[in-house]
Amino acid sequence: MTAASDLAASGSAAPVDSVRTLALNEVGPAERGTRPEEVVIALSPAFGDPFTKTIVDVPHAEVIRQLLAGIEERGGVARVIKVYKTADLAAIAHHGAKLSGSGIAVGVLSRGTTVLHQRDLARLSNLELFPQAPLLDAEVFRMIGSNAAQYAQGQSPKPVPTRNDQMARPRWQAKAALLHLKEFECIDHSREAVEVEPVITKVD
Amino acid sequence: MTAVAPRAEGTGASLTTSKRTEVLEDRPVNLDGFVEEWPEKGLVAMESDFDPQPSVRVEDGRIVELDGRTRDQFDFMDTFIADHAIDVDTCEAAMATESVEIARMIVDPRTSRADVVAVGRGLTPAKILDVVKLMNVVEIMMGIQKTRSRRTPANQAHSTSAKDNPIQVAADAAEGAVRGFAELETTLGVVRYAPLVAIGLQVGGQVGRGGVLTQCALEEATELDLGMRGITAYAETISIYGTESVFVDGDDTPWSKAFLASAYASRGIKMRFTSGTGSEVQMGNAEGRSMLYLEIRCILMAKGAGVQGLQNGSISCIGVPGAVPGGIRAVAAENLVASWMDLECASGNDQSFSHSAMRRTSRLLPQMLPGTDFVCSGYSAVPNKDNMFAGSNLDTDDYDDWNVIQRDMQVDGGLRHVREDVILQVRNKAARAMQALFAELDLPPITDEEIEAATYANSSDDYPDRDVLADLEGARSVMERGITGIDLVRFLERAGFGDVAENYLQVLRQRVSGDLLQTAAVLTGDFTPLAAINDANDYAGPGTGYRLTGERWEELKKLRHVTSAENPEEEVV
Amino acid sequence: MTTNPDLAPDLTAADYPLSVHRPELLHTPTGKTLDDLTMAAVVAGDITSEDLRISPETLALQGQLAAAAGRRQLAENFQRASEMTTIPDAEVLEMYNSLRPNASTAAQLEEIASKLENTYSATTCAALVREAAQVYAARNLLAEEESPVAPLAPQEA
Repeated sequence: MTAASDLAASGSAAPVDSVRTLALNEVGPAERGTRPEEVVIALSPAFGDPFTKTIVDVPHAEVIRQLLAGIEERGGVARVIKVYKTADLAAIAHHGAKLSGSGIAVGVLSRGTTVLHQRDLARLSNLELFPQAPLLDAEVFRMIGSNAAQYAQGQSPKPVPTRNDQMARPRWQAKAALLHLKEFECIDHSREAVEVEPVITKVD
Repeated sequence: MTAVAPRAEGTGASLTTSKRTEVLEDRPVNLDGFVEEWPEKGLVAMESDFDPQPSVRVEDGRIVELDGRTRDQFDFMDTFIADHAIDVDTCEAAMATESVEIARMIVDPRTSRADVVAVGRGLTPAKILDVVKLMNVVEIMMGIQKTRSRRTPANQAHSTSAKDNPIQVAADAAEGAVRGFAELETTLGVVRYAPLVAIGLQVGGQVGRGGVLTQCALEEATELDLGMRGITAYAETISIYGTESVFVDGDDTPWSKAFLASAYASRGIKMRFTSGTGSEVQMGNAEGRSMLYLEIRCILMAKGAGVQGLQNGSISCIGVPGAVPGGIRAVAAENLVASWMDLECASGNDQSFSHSAMRRTSRLLPQMLPGTDFVCSGYSAVPNKDNMFAGSNLDTDDYDDWNVIQRDMQVDGGLRHVREDVILQVRNKAARAMQALFAELDLPPITDEEIEAATYANSSDDYPDRDVLADLEGARSVMERGITGIDLVRFLERAGFGDVAENYLQVLRQRVSGDLLQTAAVLTGDFTPLAAINDANDYAGPGTGYRLTGERWEELKKLRHVTSAENPEEEVV
Repeated sequence: MTTNPDLAPDLTAADYPLSVHRPELLHTPTGKTLDDLTMAAVVAGDITSEDLRISPETLALQGQLAAAAGRRQLAENFQRASEMTTIPDAEVLEMYNSLRPNASTAAQLEEIASKLENTYSATTCAALVREAAQVYAARNLLAEEESPVAPLAPQEA
């Protein structure tokens, strides 16, 4: 099964009738949270702007919506930050985890690659890693949010089932490299991470 | 739907595409990814204005300028290449030779391999690039035919299991060996399974054909440990990169890798490095150089380290050169340069490459037609869904196609057609040898049902599930008890598999002689080492070099279905 | 290469493979010949892993063959390897890990080089380590006094 047909099978990734857009309104500097059930969603420099969708066209609005829904339905609370100094997923997520009230963060790159991180782990370690961005659809993002909330509450959720697709390489590897290079160009070494308020607007 | 190019479907009203376009849209090749070049960032195969111009300057017996950089500007790749790879005595003369002259030497059969290799010893990466940029893909193949180090081509297989099932790995290794692979490689889903799977690979391999060499791809230190114990016979996944930043990201340097190369040799274990076009740009740090320029730096680094060989041909990054213009030409060119630099070349064709069968074949021909030391550095000897290297360009489904192409072209790709009864016999024996060995080692038992399954299986779906936790506990105990290759030989002998034990012992004995440390060494069926010394490539134009003739050609004429000339109502058996 | 001249005649390509053409030149570090490595000896428990190792003298012979084939760097690798044969497995691995980037201070690398030189008479290996130390200093790849920052190797699709 290819990544694309996989996505189609899940049926929820590419809304046909309506499109949601995402605005990330800056609230202020990203600071350390205090709520013990808090999950931080840490986004990469190009997430939401200038990029608007993942490598397989899952809108960034949908990524955020599903992560938030997954967190909330498990009784967690979320805070979203955007990181500018690095496009390294492990560093982004680990930074988010250090700011998180619970010590748990979800790091997301523009192309969709995602990791669940925890403050006390080594930067290159993680709770769960989803390295194959082409296989991440709305359903998976929701499960990731749900697991993040459970980790935040000190539980040990079952890891989100990993998918594998040996034909992802010929289809997506070069585009992933291109997106990676573009994301690198959006790095601003002088800009501190900011807290953002995600505003999702439905456009019919 | 496709996420790459959403198509208007079912609207019906205005036809914006022809029916022919619909047919073309549905062709598998359109599931492959293609991107535009971006040379400033290194997303370009081999023709880039951002690559340096060739230059070299020697002072007091030392290279002080390399490709436009002076020594104070060298990064560690420049330093290592200048101090270890390039021949200081000859480099200024070699560099003064016109690139087109060198390119013609490579292609011209009247210039010997030795002369071409000699001039290569004095060249910088930018000069080598300048030379191969003049060559089209047919000339590159001519070059590979002449410069590959071993006269007789060979092939390497992957034998892995989606369930890390050691019995499956043993059975498929046995079949792979009897089909002709000279080397077998495995890796794991669950790394802790490694000892049992590596044992399966070794035992299965020696059942199929004595003298097959095996390896298990793991993190560097663990891979060396299994080699030192004699559970594996060689190593390959020792990765190197063409920019300093990516090399450091990989947690190594040219000096640490050179030390590791000597460590392997000090235990009598064959080893080669791995590199390939696209890895640096994939990791975002190509430093604005083309993929091939950076790969040539890897090749020279490997040569400087004194390692006997290199696995290259993009390898796990094949989707990157595969997506840019001229990318597969660049991949063939990197194999040529590795061969020209007098290294054993295990030439890729080892990763899932394309949705298109036609494109998979065309990607293969620049290595298969001229012949390389290992045409595939991982032909999947299991169905691709069981391939834990994330799939290969060729898998078990392609066995018959491969054999037919060999016969069509009269080209030796290292494999052969084998009769069903022989295959069933070696698969069954490999599984039984594992059953006996597991019993001797007090590992979780292998049932008769599993042996029956292994004999007739295609994929891991065809095997009963094993008790994974018990197996992992067994794997741990194998390491803790310090089980070595010699223990396995003794147990196999005691359990009544004397011939398998003898084959395994013969492989272990090789490390005492060190014969397998020489360039491009493999073992023949009678345990004679065949390397680029006693089987040096002597191609010198038509009628010379390796020719598919005699007994071997008769063997390759056999296929699954060939109508008998004597009695056209029957097939040749 | 300094070896016993009786053991190391000038070899040529015709002597390869040594296991076939010159078995009389080969012995294990434990003093056994190839002919001693029989199945009967294995079954009797007379052969251990130590008997299946290459000796420094054999590596010197293979180095001669490599040099005769024009493979200077391969011969140099065999020279380093011959020096390493007496270093225990665990220590070889430890030294390798110390040579990784940002893993060792200049002093730690010098300590390894000295040990190679003084304990194991591994002078070419020591030279390689000292050369690395110089380059690491120039390229900012020595360990900080504190714990090093782990490097990153992204392997994502």
